[in-house]
Amino acid sequence: MSRRALAVVAAAGLAGLSCGALAATQSEFDAAYAAAAQAEAQAGALHDQWSPTEAALKAARQAAEEKRYDEASALARRAEALAKASISQAQAQQSLWREAVVK
Amino acid sequence: MRGALPMIALAALGLPLLAPLSSRAEPAMPGQAVAFDRSKGNCLACHTMKGGDVPSNVGPELADMKARFPDRKELYAIIFDEERRNPQTVMPPFGRDLILTPQEINEIVDFLYTL
Amino acid sequence: MIGRIGSIYRAAAAAALLFTSLLPAASAGPRIDPAGDQRAFQAYFERAFPGVALDDFANGPYAVNKEMRKQWEEIMQFPPYDFALDDGKRLFEAPFKNGKSYADCFPDRGIGIRQSYPYFDLRSGEVVTLDLAINRCREQNGEKPLPYEVGDMAAIDAYMASTSRGKPFDIRIPDDPRALAAYENGKKFFYERRGQLNFSCASCHVQAAGRRMRGDILAPALGMLASFPIYRSDWGSMGTVDRRFVSCNEQVRSLPLKPEDEAYRDLEYFLSYMSNGVAIAGPGTRP
Repeated sequence: MSRRALAVVAAAGLAGLSCGALAATQSEFDAAYAAAAQAEAQAGALHDQWSPTEAALKAARQAAEEKRYDEASALARRAEALAKASISQAQAQQSLWREAVVK
Repeated sequence: MRGALPMIALAALGLPLLAPLSSRAEPAMPGQAVAFDRSKGNCLACHTMKGGDVPSNVGPELADMKARFPDRKELYAIIFDEERRNPQTVMPPFGRDLILTPQEINEIVDFLYTL
Repeated sequence: MIGRIGSIYRAAAAAALLFTSLLPAASAGPRIDPAGDQRAFQAYFERAFPGVALDDFANGPYAVNKEMRKQWEEIMQFPPYDFALDDGKRLFEAPFKNGKSYADCFPDRGIGIRQSYPYFDLRSGEVVTLDLAINRCREQNGEKPLPYEVGDMAAIDAYMASTSRGKPFDIRIPDDPRALAAYENGKKFFYERRGQLNFSCASCHVQAAGRRMRGDILAPALGMLASFPIYRSDWGSMGTVDRRFVSCNEQVRSLPLKPEDEAYRDLEYFLSYMSNGVAIAGPGTRP
């Protein structure tokens, strides 16, 4: 595994995400990516997509194309975590924004 | 060159890099590097603090941290998600929004306690 | 999908408005009150920056920081937007292939009208900004639309603003549920936190307005759009309101919208309405 891949897996672990088995397969990546893409689409419906999520998705696709599935899966899981954080933000803001209005 | 691009991409994602910042002198504490890095803590954007040379005042000056925040958990919580404590804060929720890892937040707390 | 959700939101806002207008004012549910919002907004900035005249808010950081004002006065000996202004005048006056020109598309032949944009178009049911009107004018006359944000668009915009200097922002919100829904949508966009950094527009330009972020002074939201388009040293070129919205979104790590997206137009509508009474000062300069 490259040092880059190690960094990603380490990052995912540090971020409290579940670390996949060391030798992730394409189907594992596909599942992780589909979950991330679905969460990001939901964030889009709520008008709150984050650029780091998009960057993680793009990097995941790139890694998968080069058959580095460990790295690709870790990136997809990070993208999903980011997308879910953006969904939480958008849902909270549906009512919270009014508290910030100048009165 | 080919290896450099993915590294930049990772930095843009806010993922920690294993490679040290080679071109700069090693900072006294890892937390200082994380705190001052614009793609990480970027603390100097809003706070004045020792070691930074900008007069930002969006947030309070960071000094005497041990006296002001004797409870380490409180300081950690402020960095993790200050909005939970103060809904109108302008401080980003570094932990909640996955800007920093828990380890990086702990390193920043270590560094803040030297101020 | 996004558009549909947007229109559902709008329809809901319009329905809510219709509903509340049938009930006594004391009823529950947020009432859409642009005039009241505007009074509160302007009073907030008057309290925050005592002694700053309403028109001076168009000058952003220079209005609220003495050192920066001095630098600005030096810069203004040779305003960096002068080239764009010359280009803009030439482009504005050049006839289209069909012999018509921009002047034929606008009230008062396009001179001295910046303060009335954006406006709510009751026929199409949407907010029309000056930049959108410029491109619609081109398309009506068989010309290709210009790219937003920079270049010729910023130049034409700059020239049109320059002919309107001194005229106070005069944004109207017609008594129409669609216009009120657009206003409310823009207000929501302004106050809603977004992006990984969890900032709203208001975080920086209301709550932290006037404070220092590294070398920059955060500009007050009041009057902010009165000096657009701007030459920003940071950009090294001219930029329109769209460019500012896109770059703000990027800075908070939010995926920016396309220029002239409905949400951006609604935001510009809200923000310009908040600044009614502030005289147009564009084009402007910023660090």
